[in-house]
Amino acid sequence: MTDYQLSKLIFDLQRQPQLAAEYSADMEAVMERYAIAPKVSAALLADDVATLAPLVNAYLLRFYFQIRKMPEQEFIARLHAMKQPEGADG
Amino acid sequence: MAELVGAFAACHGPVIARDWQVLPENERDRYITAFERTGARLKACRPDIIVALSPDHWVNFFIDNMPAFCIGVGDEHDGPPEPFMADIFPHKTLKGDPGFAGHLLQTAMDSEFEPAFSHWLTLDHGICVPLWRLAVDVATPIVPILVNEVEGPMPVIRRCFSWGRLLRKAIGSYQPAARIAILATGGLSHSIGEATMGWIDEDFDRACIRHFEQSGEADIVRFLDEQLPKTGNGAHEVRNWVIAHGAAQSRGFELVDYFPSPATFVGAGFASWRV
Repeated sequence: MTDYQLSKLIFDLQRQPQLAAEYSADMEAVMERYAIAPKVSAALLADDVATLAPLVNAYLLRFYFQIRKMPEQEFIARLHAMKQPEGADG
Repeated sequence: MAELVGAFAACHGPVIARDWQVLPENERDRYITAFERTGARLKACRPDIIVALSPDHWVNFFIDNMPAFCIGVGDEHDGPPEPFMADIFPHKTLKGDPGFAGHLLQTAMDSEFEPAFSHWLTLDHGICVPLWRLAVDVATPIVPILVNEVEGPMPVIRRCFSWGRLLRKAIGSYQPAARIAILATGGLSHSIGEATMGWIDEDFDRACIRHFEQSGEADIVRFLDEQLPKTGNGAHEVRNWVIAHGAAQSRGFELVDYFPSPATFVGAGFASWRV
């Protein structure tokens, strides 16, 4: 389910270096301006890839964690951890 | 009258640009050769205009207004905004061709296609990585067609074939004696920002290439309709190849090179079509 506000925040962050700098300095203040839902805010503050992934386009998710300066291998490892284990859906 | 003088495909992965200096030597060498060979063919066509097909990587469009197809009809386009492109492709603007772009747009409308159009687009790495590595003369006017290949629902494959035929019709009915080439960027398989990120689906890629080499339109449509939902999200860019294939009227496809490139996360494909 696409979260419009989260998507808009990330779209603007990757286009506006000034906003990205503000976000780095005070994430919560910027999130408030974008009316980010509390559960999503918590996931953003925790760099919670698995919670954010279903809410936003995959390319925007990658942009976001580049802005957050998460090392690419760590980002990929967190994505891979989301894969359902074989037979887990029984 | 204008004529279609060539149609080409080239990979556009952003990591090619971002990590060019630190790519594993074997992958960089392969890229150098593939881009050089494709670029030589493109330049041998002496194009006056290049129609460049690419997705928009969230630079121009957002989910508040996401066109399936958008033609850049402006005199100019902005160059790539990505910081990693600044030093290697330092072009603030790139030349457009409002004459042919306007004709293409009108031909589309007259043919009951209704694309979006823009008098000022930004051309991201999708178009500019190939322009950089193919060493295209940046004075050559670019007519971009941005295809939604990043956010579903996306144009169906059959419609992309129709777009290819439309593009051919527009080129053939353009009065000025312009030499026009098509550059289909992107692909083949890659997986970005999803649970399979990094996966290069070589089986898909090689089957895809076989279909372009050997199959008719109906079989390509059937194959891609079945297989695209099963592979990584980046493979949706194969729509650009389909448009080029349609424009070339399925007269023949030649693979220039294909290789999986783990360092850039893509199954890197390069091709040309007989037109």
